[in-house]
Amino acid sequence: MIFILDIEWRYNKQMYILELYNQFLKQLIMLQYQLNSYISTTIRSLSDDNSLLTSLLILGIAFLYGLVHAAGPGHGKALVAFYFTSNKANYKKAFKMGYMISIIHAISALLFTFGIFYILKTMFRRNFNEMSAIAMQISAGMIVCVGVYLIYEAYKSKKLKELQIEKQNKSEYAVALSAGIVPCPGVMTIVLFCIVLKQYFLGILAAITMSIGMGLTISLAGILSITLHKKAGNFLDKKGFILEMIGGFLVVLLGIFLFSSIGHR
Amino acid sequence: MKITLILLLICNILFAHPHTFIEVYPNVSIHNDKITKISFQWKLDEMSSSMLIMELDQNGDGKIDKDENTFIYENYFMPLVDYNFYTDISIQEKVKRFPTPSNFKALIKNNRLYYNFDITNLQLDIHTTKFDFGDTDFFVAMILKKEFVTINERDAKVSDLDNDFYFGYRMEIQ
Repeated sequence: MIFILDIEWRYNKQMYILELYNQFLKQLIMLQYQLNSYISTTIRSLSDDNSLLTSLLILGIAFLYGLVHAAGPGHGKALVAFYFTSNKANYKKAFKMGYMISIIHAISALLFTFGIFYILKTMFRRNFNEMSAIAMQISAGMIVCVGVYLIYEAYKSKKLKELQIEKQNKSEYAVALSAGIVPCPGVMTIVLFCIVLKQYFLGILAAITMSIGMGLTISLAGILSITLHKKAGNFLDKKGFILEMIGGFLVVLLGIFLFSSIGHR
Repeated sequence: MKITLILLLICNILFAHPHTFIEVYPNVSIHNDKITKISFQWKLDEMSSSMLIMELDQNGDGKIDKDENTFIYENYFMPLVDYNFYTDISIQEKVKRFPTPSNFKALIKNNRLYYNFDITNLQLDIHTTKFDFGDTDFFVAMILKKEFVTINERDAKVSDLDNDFYFGYRMEIQ
């Protein structure tokens, strides 16, 4: 009887956590929906009389939008989380990684948007989808390479720990590049909206502030992962390389998952 | 328990987040406890609309004319059949194929792109039919509120769609 009650209690607890997660997802969507509507209305209301204050407001909303937008599911956070599961690092590194990704993300989004708009001119949506698919393929390939490298590093660090620091810096840049190279459609949409309304400079600033917001959220994913690594690392003691191996395998799986999802979209 | 949650979160973080928001306005016609017709209006968010209008309003007159409408229908709307038009109609918990939409009309209003279309010749029992709105890939967020639904004779219940991988809404007739 006690056993059945225990199972029931565990099941209810699990359902409660799932329900909480669903509610979290819902609130994220609703917040993005409202911010999306608010930002477009505010950009459209921009005039010569209120340009400075309204522009600052737009940038503030763009930052918030980036913060919330990146809190939703996405492969960038997964990559960062798996990477830090595989690598010993401090919180400063998590911020560095988050912001490297966001800078590459912003540059990539700006290049793609202006490039498609001014060079290809027509069929923005179609070109955008095709180019995104190519960028996604490059990203997926790079992610698989990073994963293989992490597994190799974990295997090697078991034997030769002193070489790890030098190598790790290189893999950091590779992770940032592979996560950031795919331009965020959310950033691109805002930039394009500004271009359509001939607010070019505001579009560039909005892309940067939105990316800063996204960088902060991605950094938080890294911090969570580092905390997990520290706790699990202490628990595993000298067998910590097992966790590093798992992290590497998860990164490889993420790359493979991205490859398989490209054809589906 | 912990492993289940970690796996669930890992699965979830692999999925994308929405970049387009579509408000769904269904107008449901009921006759003798059967749903006979539903007219849908989709209102795309202003930013996505601006991207599409720039591309689809080819003569730039701020309107969608007949040729442009045909182009949108063939190239942008009908391919959504692969996504069941983001609408699962289930009868006694079995999901049915979304009927071929008719009377498709795209229009521009208040800087937003609207898609209007009907599904007709239906005989759906109001007690056993449910409508689930959402994109399983989570690239598009379908937004449905109770006040968006127009219905004759009966009332509609709108609830959150309980799904672990994306968020959506369910509409039931009461």
